[in-house]
Amino acid sequence: MARYGMLIDTIKCIGCYTCRTACQRQNDLLPGQDFIRFEQVENGEYPNVTVQNIPMQCMHCEDAPCAQVCPTGAAHMGADGIVEVDEGRCIGCLYCMAACPYQVRVRNSETGAVDKCRFCTVSAEQSGTKMCTCVEACLTGARTFGDLDDPDSEIVKEIARTGAQPIAGDLTKSKIYYVR
Amino acid sequence: MVFEPIWGTIIGMYLFLAGLGGGAYASATYLRLRKPECVHLIRYGRVIAPITVIVGLCLLMVDATAGFHNPLRFVLLLTNFGSVMTWGVVFLAVFTIIALIVVIMDLLGKGRKIPVWLDVFGAVMGICVCVYTGCLLGVAKTFPLWNNPLLPILFLVSAVSTGMAAMLLVSIFRAPKEFDAAVKFKKFHFWLPIAELVLVAAMLFIVANNAQSAGYASVMNLLAGNCAVAFWLVFILVGLVLPTIMEMKMLFFSTKKEEESKSGHMVSGFADLGLLIGGCALRLLVLAAAMPITIAQPWM
Repeated sequence: MARYGMLIDTIKCIGCYTCRTACQRQNDLLPGQDFIRFEQVENGEYPNVTVQNIPMQCMHCEDAPCAQVCPTGAAHMGADGIVEVDEGRCIGCLYCMAACPYQVRVRNSETGAVDKCRFCTVSAEQSGTKMCTCVEACLTGARTFGDLDDPDSEIVKEIARTGAQPIAGDLTKSKIYYVR
Repeated sequence: MVFEPIWGTIIGMYLFLAGLGGGAYASATYLRLRKPECVHLIRYGRVIAPITVIVGLCLLMVDATAGFHNPLRFVLLLTNFGSVMTWGVVFLAVFTIIALIVVIMDLLGKGRKIPVWLDVFGAVMGICVCVYTGCLLGVAKTFPLWNNPLLPILFLVSAVSTGMAAMLLVSIFRAPKEFDAAVKFKKFHFWLPIAELVLVAAMLFIVANNAQSAGYASVMNLLAGNCAVAFWLVFILVGLVLPTIMEMKMLFFSTKKEEESKSGHMVSGFADLGLLIGGCALRLLVLAAAMPITIAQPWM
């Protein structure tokens, strides 16, 4: 069993939205359905101001609040530490959307079901494509994907080298690490 | 990013109606035990309870689009007992069934044969429904305005207050004699909006000082932001303060003759209507004003 996670380097991120577009193509999403949301933080004081882009997506929390509150078991912890949504069980009550501290779950405007970043597992299982298209697509190499339990993996080394942290400390034991 | 509330008017109305129904049933049971001669007043409570709860449940099902398109998925609602919503479904289902049985017996003229234990059990379920509407929001750590233990209490008090207000409002028109007779009932009802004012003030003080800045942002939304007009005018003034003043005048500073006159009934009626508007506004405001922690402050 792996424990998949991702590292996002916000120093490298230029906010070009390529990851989001690649994700939408790979997962056949609707135009308004975005699994990656961009937040911006302004740092410094005029005239020396910088803008930091923070791509937010499902953090695949180990203490996933969405899975705790989901009344039907549609949102659940799947294999390899990936939080999954079983669309066939979702009634669209949006309780998971309210419970998610990161507000990264989106409603499919056609089916009414809720969905979010899958680490591209659905397409990987069905057609053998690589997991996490966003990593491949990123122009600046801001994203790294891998097994957090494998000490030789690139992501573990990158986290150690950069001192990356989850976005909100140990709030939900999230598995997306950010370099700030 | 501008935050769009996840739950809107439909869910707000549902929270209001479910609470009103549960509160009305519990109040009817209280009357049955303490003042059984108010047959009509009790009956209004029993009629209001299932109607409002069922209307609320219909709103809920329409709002849950994916389930509305695939109704069989609603069966799955009973699978995760770690979820507050699953417990709510149990409470709502048991409550609706009891409320329907009781109202049918009452309307068939068998009101006296309704066993006390059934009424009491229904009242307990009704209170569970009221508290559930608060806990549903309360467990979402994302929103400091919801994630505090005062919210379920506030919703419970508001639910019982609106439930009683609905019963009293109907009785003013349909059974004014019983309205005049239920003095203790009305005096108990008088204190509920005051308790609500205290709870709201306490809750907003605590939430404003939440460790996350989203708590302060939510409270400011209510007090001086997008929701301020509705909060002060509709909820505080029309929904709590004016009804309290009007009821105080009628209950404590009027002669019995004034209290039982047509104009006296009118004042009480408007007070009860105000409470209903306020109860509805409270649910809508709590949904609309809540800010999530990561949008107000992405780096924590």
